[in-house]
Amino acid sequence: MIFLRYVLSGTVKIVPDGTFQRMVFIVQNYYPMFLEGLKYTLVISLVGTLFGVLIGMILASMKIQKITKRDSFTIRILKRAGIIFSTAYVDIVRGTPMMLQAIILYYAFFVKWFNMSVMLAGIIIISLNTAAYATEVLRGAINAIDKGQMEAARSLGMSYKQAMLNVILPQAFKNSVPAIGNELVINIKDSSVLSVIGVIELMYQSKAAASQYFLHVESALVAGVVYLILTMSATRLLEYFDKRLNSPSGSALKISIPTSQSFQSRKRGNAKWRL
Amino acid sequence: MAIIRVRNLKKSFGDLEVLKDINVDFNRGEVVCIIGASGSGKSTLLRCLNLLEEPTSGNIVFDGNELTSTNTNLDQLRTKIGMVFQSFNLFNNKSVLDNLTLAPIHVLKNSKELAEQKALKLLDRVGLKDFANYTVKTISGGQKQRVSIARSLMMEPSIMLFDEPTSALDPEMVGEVLEVMKSLASQGMTMIVVTHEMEFAKDVSDRVLFMDQGIILEAGSPEEIFTNPKKTRTKEFLSRVLRN
Repeated sequence: MIFLRYVLSGTVKIVPDGTFQRMVFIVQNYYPMFLEGLKYTLVISLVGTLFGVLIGMILASMKIQKITKRDSFTIRILKRAGIIFSTAYVDIVRGTPMMLQAIILYYAFFVKWFNMSVMLAGIIIISLNTAAYATEVLRGAINAIDKGQMEAARSLGMSYKQAMLNVILPQAFKNSVPAIGNELVINIKDSSVLSVIGVIELMYQSKAAASQYFLHVESALVAGVVYLILTMSATRLLEYFDKRLNSPSGSALKISIPTSQSFQSRKRGNAKWRL
Repeated sequence: MAIIRVRNLKKSFGDLEVLKDINVDFNRGEVVCIIGASGSGKSTLLRCLNLLEEPTSGNIVFDGNELTSTNTNLDQLRTKIGMVFQSFNLFNNKSVLDNLTLAPIHVLKNSKELAEQKALKLLDRVGLKDFANYTVKTISGGQKQRVSIARSLMMEPSIMLFDEPTSALDPEMVGEVLEVMKSLASQGMTMIVVTHEMEFAKDVSDRVLFMDQGIILEAGSPEEIFTNPKKTRTKEFLSRVLRN
């Protein structure tokens, strides 16, 4: 330990032997970089997923439109345009690698026209990419809602929009929470491709940390541990969130239907006291 | 006076012609039961009456408004036509009370307080006042159907359509739903009921329509249809159904 401390105080440090020791060495020397990278990765993936889902909602509602007899000419044109646009968007974005999307959007538009910071560029790229996947998730969830729900709402005189907002979308959104959580986990990992446009997220930082002492494997292992902690906590959190959503809501808890458990405990209690 | 007038109504699903030239009037205050075998088009006819199915051709006039014209405000007219479905179709994401108040608040622009007062009154009428705060998942089929009747009544409709309201119910729950329907009928509600409950059709209805292969084959008072049917298809159907 004395030796190590002596080494670290100098400008050029002696690299210890052993993979684990080297990982510790990396952490001790470069932890501010990893923390910075962690911050970028978290912000970009969280905000990106959030906006991606919001854009996905808009695209999904464009994509599920149906043209009916009663639509006026203008409405028909608008609906058709919405369907074509959303379908093309999903096909193009899902059909190309995000790294390619990042390079094209960043160098061809964001830098040239807006002189945009890489952080904002990263968030926009992740949002636009996630939107395509979220569109399909939400569209599937909307289509999975029983047709009778819409019919009941319409038969009460609600407009299509009112029925969608009050009846269909809340149910569809609740059902798609696991899939959206999946998108978040994917984004935590896939934001790493943003290092190509110079977003200083976790992967970028880990490469930088590796370069001075050529500790590529050890630095990648440290980044791997951080990624795992992030993705696993995200997964657990979402599982908890999903369970909360699917348990009976507050008002339903007032109902006291004797459960098998309460029966059992009562029986057990009786037996005990009678003995 | 006819509240709904149907003229030359046709409906096809692809090549399948489900309704072939239907002409019928439904009068104010009348209870009409539509009977017939599965696939005879009775549900499709009912669903055409509030345009849940868009007719292929023909006219439906409701209270002087041409439903089939593309210029009519369907949403507004639908508030006056209540509908009860075979599979209840209660809003799964809402409590019993919210199921009742949703449309009055959003469509009729009632205040929340007013809508809830009205809802509790109606829930009381269908015997479910204590269930207002339950989620719809936790109540029985018969209770669900009574809630869905109350939900339709919230809009103060001038006519109620029932699409096989007891067909998805366990036998012991059929009675409670029919009771509610009978009390509605006795209060003078105009009702069109697609049903397999022959007893109900006999006891409650003013007129019975027998449908077969997309047409109204026979229409008349319950006595005429049940005791003295004129067409052989009607006789066959009734003898098959009444034997059970």
